[in-house]
Amino acid sequence: MLSFVLIILVSFVFTGIVIRTKSLASGRKGPGVFQPMKDILRLFKKGAVYSETTSIIFQIAPSIYFASIIMAILVLPFGHYKGIISFSYDFVFFAYVLAMGKFFNIISALDTGSSFEGMGASREALFSMLAEPAFFILMGSLALLTGHTSFQEIFMTFHFGSYTSYAIGTLATFVLIIICMIENSRMPIDDPKTHLELTMMHEVMILDNSGFDLGLILHGTNMKFALYGALIANLFMGNLPLYYSIPLFIFIQSLFAVVVGLLESFSARFRMSHNAQFILVLSSVSLLVFFSVLMVMGKFN
Amino acid sequence: MNDIQFLLFSLVSTVVGWLFIAVLPSDKKSVVNSLFVFINALLLSIPAIHVINGNEINYIFRNVGFFGDIPLRIDALSAWFILIINFTSLTGAIYGIGYMKQYSVQTKNLTLHWIEYLLFQISMVWVCIVQNSLVFLVIWEVMSLSSLLLVIFEHQNIKTLKAGLNYLVQMHIGVAFITVAFLWVYIAQGTMDFVAIKDFFAVNSNIWLFLLFFIGFGIKAGFIPLHSWLPHAHPAAPSHVSGVMSGVIVKVGIYGIFRVVTYLQSDFVILGESMLVLSLFTGLFGIINSAMHRDFKKMLAYCTVENIGIIGSGIGLGLIGIGTDSNVLTVLGFSSALLHVLNHSLFKSLLFFSAGSVYQQTHTRDMEQLGGLIKKMPQTALIFLFGAIAIGGLPPFNGFVSEFILYSGFFKGLWSQDLYLTFLMIFAIGSLAFIGGISIFTFTKSFGVIFLGSPRNQLHIEPVEVPFHMRLPQYIIIAVMLSIGIFPVFYITKVMAIISTTFPAVNLSFLNYDFSIFTAISSIGIYALLFIIVIIAILIVRKVVENKKVAVSSATWGCGYVAPNVAMQYTGKSFSKTLGKLLSFIVFEKKKYNELKPNEIFPEARRHSALYTDFVEFRIIDKTLNRLLYFMDLFQFIQNGSLQRYILYGLIFIILIFFGTYLSII
Repeated sequence: MLSFVLIILVSFVFTGIVIRTKSLASGRKGPGVFQPMKDILRLFKKGAVYSETTSIIFQIAPSIYFASIIMAILVLPFGHYKGIISFSYDFVFFAYVLAMGKFFNIISALDTGSSFEGMGASREALFSMLAEPAFFILMGSLALLTGHTSFQEIFMTFHFGSYTSYAIGTLATFVLIIICMIENSRMPIDDPKTHLELTMMHEVMILDNSGFDLGLILHGTNMKFALYGALIANLFMGNLPLYYSIPLFIFIQSLFAVVVGLLESFSARFRMSHNAQFILVLSSVSLLVFFSVLMVMGKFN
Repeated sequence: MNDIQFLLFSLVSTVVGWLFIAVLPSDKKSVVNSLFVFINALLLSIPAIHVINGNEINYIFRNVGFFGDIPLRIDALSAWFILIINFTSLTGAIYGIGYMKQYSVQTKNLTLHWIEYLLFQISMVWVCIVQNSLVFLVIWEVMSLSSLLLVIFEHQNIKTLKAGLNYLVQMHIGVAFITVAFLWVYIAQGTMDFVAIKDFFAVNSNIWLFLLFFIGFGIKAGFIPLHSWLPHAHPAAPSHVSGVMSGVIVKVGIYGIFRVVTYLQSDFVILGESMLVLSLFTGLFGIINSAMHRDFKKMLAYCTVENIGIIGSGIGLGLIGIGTDSNVLTVLGFSSALLHVLNHSLFKSLLFFSAGSVYQQTHTRDMEQLGGLIKKMPQTALIFLFGAIAIGGLPPFNGFVSEFILYSGFFKGLWSQDLYLTFLMIFAIGSLAFIGGISIFTFTKSFGVIFLGSPRNQLHIEPVEVPFHMRLPQYIIIAVMLSIGIFPVFYITKVMAIISTTFPAVNLSFLNYDFSIFTAISSIGIYALLFIIVIIAILIVRKVVENKKVAVSSATWGCGYVAPNVAMQYTGKSFSKTLGKLLSFIVFEKKKYNELKPNEIFPEARRHSALYTDFVEFRIIDKTLNRLLYFMDLFQFIQNGSLQRYILYGLIFIILIFFGTYLSII
């Protein structure tokens, strides 16, 4: 419950912090951290325009996407406090429920019959598909290291380990950050601020969404950021008491938002054709985590 | 009636069914066929249900002439497959009533078709009952031949006939392997009862005999590199047949492998590992090819290959579990395999049926010709969508349950003592995640291109929604699928009971103190339901919010371009092009076009076509065959058509025999 509330709270300001960081980095003052949320609220109030080509899929897809993210958040623990949903191998459920949302996101883009949105859909489908193994290998390694099989047990035990667990934690953080960037289609995979439809991924998929639906999708992205931020925070919180862990959680989330902002300010987007290779490299970083886990466990002797 | 009488009565009812099908007018044949399929399904399922509830059937016909003893045995494993076969055959038969209406003028052809359908169902079930190797082979052959005749219903079409021949030849290569394996057992043990296989395994190396069986049954099941009949036969067959074939006939191959696995006595680890690796490659290969093809029935056929890979990985994991004395792995592996057999038979037949509805209405299997069908055939679109979600292994449907169990097995396997196994497991986890990812890619593409957007081509006849009796069996399948997705524990307890009776060595007692697996499985059911509730809640909120506003309709945003047309829509080909390029070492794109000549000032209209070819079929099988043909051609002078020479050959042969016997060489 705690994690759910905190993640929802963080999601309200996450993108705001990212945008603020980017503004500051480029020498502007920038909007306040609540601006993205205000935009979304405005969208909720606005009417919608639907393409004549679209069908019922286009109408229900954003809601299913949003629901999938809520389900995924329910799975996440807060340190040693269980999430609302917790069972063995809940991370498989986590990944597949997110994939379900993505499924609908993709077909809703194809529903518009546009020449551009299919392109975004194809890219999003391809890149997020390539990132799947990285997440599973990472979770497999952490499960192997800790001897447990649910998010909460893994994160609780992970902290108890030696200093090497922090080293593994750092690698894992790297993997999670990149997966988060892929899932949310941000730099260096995709540039949300590009103005050419041909070079977009996520933005071009939702070109035709408007009003309430667009609000849901945009806030879905915010929540996804907070979601991955929470995963990363969990790597370091372990079983600290609440008066340490809540500030730590908020600190890590803000730090993550700042890192995303800096990453977006100072890195260029990859060439589209190189994205696939980059994402595959991510799987090998996951494998690196796996090998270090094996080494820590002394399996190579 | 007792169970044996039920079984035997099914044979009688089949013959009666044939008579009815033969004499009734062509529009009644299909209805009568479904009626008799239903009767047979009842007759055969009642004993199977008894078995699942704990009374195994073991009845032996003594000294039946040349065959010797013919044991009829139904254990829980057979019963599970029998129930699956009956369910899918029945839904296929009901769907077929509507699907075959378009062919009602071909009376004789239809008679043969429905007679074969009845035979097909009964032979598949009896394959799971009879345990005498000779009788088994006969029934196996009846099954292959009846399915062949079902496949080549449209035999006027040369491509269909070719696919049929391909199927015929490959099935017989399979039979050859199975026959050799049975002969080997017979020679070593002197009995044709299946129990002899167990005795054989107890004293001999397990690897070689298992390999023979595996190749034989694997051709039916479609493991790579033995899968190449699937992508030809499934598109060629009428859709209710493709649904049943893909849903259950490949599962009969799995049944064969499972049956042999129950007899194994040693070498578990090596067999399990090989099977796991082969299955993972099968899964990857199947789904990668599936993502590329534009013929939607071919796409589904390759997807069957992928699912066979998933089932095979479960069996492999189970074998590893037996070999390493890890009951958890055995139970998780085998139960995921058995459950996935059920799941796949459900969603694959569903997908083939809905694809068949599309084909019936549009008369094309090329998804690039379609688009926007959701407006014309909304229910078929919805059915296909449910099938697509289920096959992608996404919650809240059933595909997720079996994949979840398989994942949990792989994760459990990480803690194996053997480092090599740990590596294998992480490879398996990565591959399974990759397979899941590409299957989402494939099915978003297929669903999007066939049903969404605007129509890409003007069709001759406007497609309309198919009649209710074609949709009904599909809704029944969806209901069963949802029941598995939401109440998985019911099914998983059944499956575990099957495993504990089929593999007495497996000790299920660990489940009494390790509840985590059951809790996890029941949790995914509960949370699948919760997921549906959350979706509905959000949709209600959306409805309430939207009701206050006016929705405006307008054209799709074309980035300022004012005259967009349907040809500018993103196509399936371009959707999968990037993936195809990335994996171009597995899927080869073959392009056909004429280069523009330098002196061609006004270029003529020209065609450009590109298709993807199967690595195994074109790079391995065809190449080998070409070499073989080249070698055979060297001896063509022997067969030269001149009668005199042939008589001479005969003479030489007789002389050889004569001298051979005279000098007592022969």
